[in-house]
Amino acid sequence: MLMEVKNQFKISFLSVKYALMREMLNKTTFITNVLFMILNNASFIVQWIVLFSLKDNVGGYTFDQVMLLWGISAGTYGVSHFFFSNSYHLSELINNGKLDSFLVQPKNVLLSVITTDVTTSALGDIIYGYLMVLIFGLTPLNLLLFTVFSILGGITLTCISIILNSLSFWFSKTDVIADTGNNMMTNFANYPDGIFKGGIKLMFFTILPVAFVNHIPVQLLTKFNLGLFLIVVLVTIIFIILAFTIFYKGLKRYSSSNLMVARI
Amino acid sequence: MRKYLFIFKSEVMSNLQYVFNIITSFIGYFLILFVLLNLWKYMYSDPSQVINGYTMNQMVWYVVVTEILWGSLGGRSLSKKICSDVRSGNIAYNMNKPYSYIGYCLSSHLGSLAIRFILYTVLGMLVGFMFLGSFPTLNILSVLCILITGILATIISTLLITSIGLLSFFIEDAHPFYWLYSKVILVLGTIFPIEYFPKVIQPILNYSPVYVVSYGPAKLFVDFNYNSFISIILAQIIYIFIAYTICNFMYKKGVKNLNVNGG
Amino acid sequence: MAIIEVKNLSKTFKVKLKEKGLKGSLKSIIKPKYKSVKAVKNISFEVEKGEMIAFIGPNGAGKSTTIKMLTGILYPDKGDIKVMGIDPKKERKKLAYEIGTVFGQKEQLWTHLTPYDNFKFFGAIYDIPESRVEKKIAELAMLFELDEFINTPVRNLSLGQRIRCEIVASLIHEPKVLFLDEPTIGLDPVVKENIRTLIKRMNKEYKTTVFLTSHDVGDIEKLCKRVIIINNGGIVLDDSMENLKYHYLNKKIVEAKMRERVNLEDEDGITILKDKGYNLKIEVDLEKRSVSDAIKLLNPDNIVDINISNTPLENIISDIYKNENKDDE
Repeated sequence: MLMEVKNQFKISFLSVKYALMREMLNKTTFITNVLFMILNNASFIVQWIVLFSLKDNVGGYTFDQVMLLWGISAGTYGVSHFFFSNSYHLSELINNGKLDSFLVQPKNVLLSVITTDVTTSALGDIIYGYLMVLIFGLTPLNLLLFTVFSILGGITLTCISIILNSLSFWFSKTDVIADTGNNMMTNFANYPDGIFKGGIKLMFFTILPVAFVNHIPVQLLTKFNLGLFLIVVLVTIIFIILAFTIFYKGLKRYSSSNLMVARI
Repeated sequence: MRKYLFIFKSEVMSNLQYVFNIITSFIGYFLILFVLLNLWKYMYSDPSQVINGYTMNQMVWYVVVTEILWGSLGGRSLSKKICSDVRSGNIAYNMNKPYSYIGYCLSSHLGSLAIRFILYTVLGMLVGFMFLGSFPTLNILSVLCILITGILATIISTLLITSIGLLSFFIEDAHPFYWLYSKVILVLGTIFPIEYFPKVIQPILNYSPVYVVSYGPAKLFVDFNYNSFISIILAQIIYIFIAYTICNFMYKKGVKNLNVNGG
Repeated sequence: MAIIEVKNLSKTFKVKLKEKGLKGSLKSIIKPKYKSVKAVKNISFEVEKGEMIAFIGPNGAGKSTTIKMLTGILYPDKGDIKVMGIDPKKERKKLAYEIGTVFGQKEQLWTHLTPYDNFKFFGAIYDIPESRVEKKIAELAMLFELDEFINTPVRNLSLGQRIRCEIVASLIHEPKVLFLDEPTIGLDPVVKENIRTLIKRMNKEYKTTVFLTSHDVGDIEKLCKRVIIINNGGIVLDDSMENLKYHYLNKKIVEAKMRERVNLEDEDGITILKDKGYNLKIEVDLEKRSVSDAIKLLNPDNIVDINISNTPLENIISDIYKNENKDDE
């Protein structure tokens, strides 16, 4: 069992490494992609400078905290899109019958699929995240926590994408729903939770778990609290279980099914 | 002129089939607006408050309009198309055709965005009304004026992006320049009106493309008066003239380059 | 013992019907209509260890569906499959260690890596210790003559070299059964021949059972001793290549160019395929008539040129398809 897990990780790691090597074939494109993503994120600082010139705190966040929020958002987004890039294209892979080649391998289908591609610019996001921590909240503990939160949040984002994309096992044309859902996660991730009211806030703790991916981690970077930290871990585990369960339920359908005309 | 109308019309027709895609892409627009609505509701402690000359409703409507202009533009694909036209040498086929390449680009791109422009405008107005419960006070004539500035803004954006795409004649990859342009418009032109920025840079912004491609129409929509209409439309006409001249100049120079170097 | 056992295998697909136009697509979202298509109908066969078997049929006959069910990608609706005693549906992973697959149209290699690195990657997928992988790569590289380009990135290789690498990649874990789906598609004749020789050599060397689907009659003729023909989801023929040929080689084609016009009519054992007055094409059934009978009928003095040949395998097979279709109607 342990051996199996170890081998699985080895394969996923190799896949990511090879995919990265492919992206690095063209060095200029690679570097501009990464650099521009960093600048892209940085350009939004202007927006917050203007907003903080109007008020001392926005939605209960200080300027530094908003910058940390952007750091966490970039970090989680970066981890998810870099290491698990294909989880955002699952729908397309399912519809085109492209899971076949993974099904004949003696490995975990889901992990193999999502790690066979990387998004270069996501590296820029990860770097930007670390830059924000370095500038706006540098302590050794925060560096460690930031890394942990980026990984946990990145995994949660990936799981959400897997769940949404897995709808394609059952229904056609659901890629729009998946894109919208993922879009919502990023849109809400970059704003302090304090500016929202009512029902939408409830969503942050349930179907749109930005609270666990972004808002609580920022709070913990300012003031650590073990209980909250464990809750974040727990939420991540719940999403992992959900994602695997739903994907494998769908995969059974993929194998027994009948709706995939193009695959005959 | 008739041939350009024809190009425009056939692009509109061929884009009719993507109505469904346009509507789904509108979801993204809706989300951004929803977040910004919440932001401004928070920033304005009470609805009667005025910040930098804008009430809360005006701020939200301002964003509704700038985001319509930006969201319906499709600048990225235009810049990509021209870059690839130049680099693949496709552009050579256009040289001996009896139309100007710039005219062709303009009419075909405007055709391809026309439906999106209309849909975004209608849906955007609906969303704004849904969020705020009222429209700014405007009469038919002023609506018409705003619409004209909106269309002119789109024409200027198209020409400016075309000129960026034509940079590919002279440099390896023009895409970073498009990216830079889009950042300037997004950060300095769509989220806040010019009045929100420090006094020092306001005059610069007033002369920059931001004023003609996003601020102008949006400002008119939230606070219409004929004086600003005239100054905005004058600025837009000057910009069209300048942008068109730049495009033409670059195209001629680029083609010459191509001939000398043999592509 | 049979290495592949298939009993009463069936698979039905539900196909969504789409009406034309925007209205049609809206309708299909709200209330989709389906049509059942029986892709595979109640087929049974067995493959012995070390056999090379050709599984052929026209497009949409059910070839790919069957191969997907055998490899665990698709689940059957009815029937049993045992590949090396393993049920692909229940123990997909376990089966994966035992089989190799090459899908001619789908590449499994990383194109920016060298074949060598790719092989090592596949070694890792199948949990093979480093030292054994290296030995295996060396061995297969020799067998498939890869040495020249084993360190060249796959994207710089020719199609023929690529497919050789694909096959080697699928052999790294020493599978007992190799599924080859259209392995020579898109290759030129010389390269095809080369690939066939190598597959043959591999089969001899390792006694790997080969299950081959192909459109190319050459593949089948040169490689396989046994052929299964499938059409409209059912097995039409399951026989040795020799029998198939023998059965159909009873017929000869006589093509003659005549000095004078002859008027011939079909007789028992003689079929006129083409009659253009001076040019004739006749099929002779050797069980009933001899070739000399046919020549006599033509009047030997009048013959300018004559050509007597076997029916090409391609025609034999398409005849079988056609007959099958007739039976259906």
